[in-house]
Amino acid sequence: MTVIVAVAVLAGVLALATVLGLLLRSRTGRAKPSTTSADGTASTVADLAPPTAFGTRATLVQFSTPTCARCPATARHLDSVAARHDGVTRLEIDLAEHPGLASRFNVLQTPRSCSSTVPGPFAPASEAHPAHPSSPQPSTPS
Amino acid sequence: MTTTNDTDRGIDPRSPRFGAAITTVLLAVTIVLTLIPETWVAGIVLLAVIVALFAVGGIAGIRRHPYGALFRRVVRPRLAPPAELEAPEPPTFAQQVGLFVTAVALLLALLGVPYAAPIGAAVALVAAFLNAVFDVCIGCLLYVWLVRAGVFRPRRGVA
Repeated sequence: MTVIVAVAVLAGVLALATVLGLLLRSRTGRAKPSTTSADGTASTVADLAPPTAFGTRATLVQFSTPTCARCPATARHLDSVAARHDGVTRLEIDLAEHPGLASRFNVLQTPRSCSSTVPGPFAPASEAHPAHPSSPQPSTPS
Repeated sequence: MTTTNDTDRGIDPRSPRFGAAITTVLLAVTIVLTLIPETWVAGIVLLAVIVALFAVGGIAGIRRHPYGALFRRVVRPRLAPPAELEAPEPPTFAQQVGLFVTAVALLLALLGVPYAAPIGAAVALVAAFLNAVFDVCIGCLLYVWLVRAGVFRPRRGVA
């Protein structure tokens, strides 16, 4: 292989990496309304923690992992959102302790947050970033 | 769980990105050198150096990494203090990932597998490039993927 071809290969790798980077960047930080899962059931969050861990109006659920650099900053951000609204708390789920939840909630990267609301006017999704906030069906902790 | 703003443990988040930028350049040079037969040996030597650097970061921890020392002495004094500190575990994990990829590439290359060196270097290059340029957190992505692939078992036995 000549120098020129080798440099061209390198340029190709860097171009691919750039495309990947732009793709990843476009996927983070956007809110999506949730869809029901393939078998038609909505994801509920009620079984993730004891009822006292949920807010009376809404709960901001954050999925984290031990190697997640952005999670503490997101935690602080969500805590400040929760502090501004009565009845809203943040619930942290460590995927290292609950690995089954990663596919159940379609977590592809962390931090990943979603909001679970009791029926009522509340829309924190646009404030929570850089994760993908999505709204599962309302679930009331019994 | 990672914590920050713990001033004895926290690191300036720009330091690992600085290191990732240097690594990106070194890996780019490695790819070119190992693709050209005349410079293949030089490329392998450079790859071995990269493996050694990843080993320092991955095993001794990101804070003992030579790039961190370089950052603190040369770059950091010219910048404003960081807005917040980052836990060292995620960048250390990223170093371990880099170590694994480049060490396997080096080993396969020494065993004579064709193109093992440039391919492995390219994989590591994409990761380092994404971190340096797009601030992608490899640990944020990879750990979850490994969890979903079933590589990790639950920590406390509760699924």
